[in-house]
Amino acid sequence: MKSDRIRKTTPRRTVARKLAPEVPNDIPHVAVAAAPGIEPATYREMLRFMVLTRELEDRIERKLYRQGKIVGGVYVGRGQEAIGVASCIQTEPEDVILPSHRDMGAFLIRGMSPRRILAQYMGRVDGYTRGRDGNMHMGDLDRGVIPFVSMLGDNVPVAAGVGIAFRNRKKPHVVLCYFGDGATSRGDWHEGMNLACVQKAPIVFICNNNQYAYSTPLDFQMAVKNVAQRALAYGIPGEIVDGNDVLAVHEAVRRAIDRARSGFGPTLIECKTFRMTGHSAHDDAGYVPEVLFKEWELKDPISRYRQYLVEHGILRQDEIEAMQTDAVREIDGAVEWAEKSPYPEPEDCLNGVYSEK
Amino acid sequence: MLTKTQLHDLYYWLLLNRTLEDRIVSLRRAGEIPGAVQTSRGQEAVSVGTSYALEKDDIVAPLLRNTGSLLVRGFKPEEILAQYMGKGTSPTRGRDCALRMGDLKRGVVASSSSLGSLVPVVAGIALASRMRRLGIVALTYIGDGGSETSDFHEGLNLAAVQKVPMVLVLEENGWAFSTPVSAHAASTDFLARAHAYGVAGFEVDGNDVVEVYETTRRAAEHARNGGGPALIVAHTMRTGGDSGPHDAWFVPKEAVERWKSRDPLRVYEQYLDDGGLVAAEERSRIAEQVRAEVDAAAALAGSRLLPDGIQALGGVYHEI
Repeated sequence: MKSDRIRKTTPRRTVARKLAPEVPNDIPHVAVAAAPGIEPATYREMLRFMVLTRELEDRIERKLYRQGKIVGGVYVGRGQEAIGVASCIQTEPEDVILPSHRDMGAFLIRGMSPRRILAQYMGRVDGYTRGRDGNMHMGDLDRGVIPFVSMLGDNVPVAAGVGIAFRNRKKPHVVLCYFGDGATSRGDWHEGMNLACVQKAPIVFICNNNQYAYSTPLDFQMAVKNVAQRALAYGIPGEIVDGNDVLAVHEAVRRAIDRARSGFGPTLIECKTFRMTGHSAHDDAGYVPEVLFKEWELKDPISRYRQYLVEHGILRQDEIEAMQTDAVREIDGAVEWAEKSPYPEPEDCLNGVYSEK
Repeated sequence: MLTKTQLHDLYYWLLLNRTLEDRIVSLRRAGEIPGAVQTSRGQEAVSVGTSYALEKDDIVAPLLRNTGSLLVRGFKPEEILAQYMGKGTSPTRGRDCALRMGDLKRGVVASSSSLGSLVPVVAGIALASRMRRLGIVALTYIGDGGSETSDFHEGLNLAAVQKVPMVLVLEENGWAFSTPVSAHAASTDFLARAHAYGVAGFEVDGNDVVEVYETTRRAAEHARNGGGPALIVAHTMRTGGDSGPHDAWFVPKEAVERWKSRDPLRVYEQYLDDGGLVAAEERSRIAEQVRAEVDAAAALAGSRLLPDGIQALGGVYHEI
């Protein structure tokens, strides 16, 4: 036996350790989450933005793209609208968001207009990139929206930088950083997460776990069942929510924002959801079992939320229908406006390469 | 339970590792070594215990500080000294003066200074082993600092999802160069990473060579039997600074002293004494043998010539 003097070592631990809780497979079809502290107007606004997001994206993907009016690729977040909307609606004007390509609702809530977004997709000068891009690569620093880039996971170190700047300057602002399940297997994600967490930066990391990274199912790209489990490596809370329940997402993000603003550092929120389309408009998702679409169709975040609002007497059926009609009208007008916007002149292409500030 | 030969071997390798590196530091001070020197002083039990636990055909990819792994895998002290001294006969033919050298015949993959970059490489080797049913395990090391790199994340994630026979030894030595672990790691609970990646996790006192050896055996068997990768967190401490020329003034003296009192050689000697295993006289004989070997190696390496300028263009590409 070794002497006590030498034998002062870290005790060996077994690997059996409490893991993040599992989400039941049978998510109820009706939202059941309690929603403390939500203003009546917020209930309404959340539905309005979800409806508007769906209408805008449906128009882009199912009409304009098929009519050949979109110059680039189209990546929509159908079925995932609750995540971007329920989280971003809680931001203050000075907060900063880094959305992913499935978070159109977040762009809209920050005040980016449907008509300019449509012009962006159609490659017109009034698009956010002045016709240089025909896709989601858009942002608006005045509105605290850092543009999305296609190298998924790259926004995490950027978010860490923004969060550290807020902390160093003693600003009470927070950062909302969005990504998908596939991005969490990327190196940038790891470096960004570690930096943000060791520096206790005020960030909420929101994962749209839509089960597929392009055509790769979740269990082909990571060995853990839940993205939230990855939080263990960074010493931060990892939370799993039903991403198709707008109120559940709202509640989880509310707590995470409070935590971040109070100086306790980041939280990782895994929103379990499903991509109700292909990866993009040119992908028919033939690799996704049909049964999954059928299953998740029943959990559609908008239908569930509408049902909740009516059952709880928050909104009447006719108010909801009027909201739908308004969204269609708004997008009609926006398409008309965007189509009138010209294509950029070739001579202009050297302008706007660098920030003019 | 270790056999007498194994106990003897472990002592020999630990002592050879220590004695050789002490000589390297002296030669550096004497101006015989042109580059930087990264020793494993205080961490020898990790290199030796892990490499000794592998089978002959297994693959190991050491880092700059794993001199013991090179020795156990058959690199001669003379080769290591020639490498540091930049001699023309060294494994890199004088092109490099640090332990960035390997030999696939001896199952050693050359290290790279970009820490973390070996993890995806070794994951690839282990994937090949799984796909070709070779039955071999691939082992590599990472420091606490290297575990924050993107390569570590991508490599370990790939290994985990592909369930490859990889053993990753995380040497938690408290410092990434001059950055203490608390300032660079969001969570200092490195064992928790096993859960974050979905791999088997083991934790070990890195200064206890017997514990390191036994844990590595278990981890390698787990990997070999199709259980997927294993992460071994070995707690240890660099008691000789980051590299030869500087004195690691940034590390609190008390911490160094505390760990020096738990020096791996002393821990092992105590273990041998307590168990009445390898007697003191025999240990002196081993020490004598090691000293003679290192002396001979230093004399031989010192007598070798520096590379000829004309040779610089040779060996740039792999010669089939």
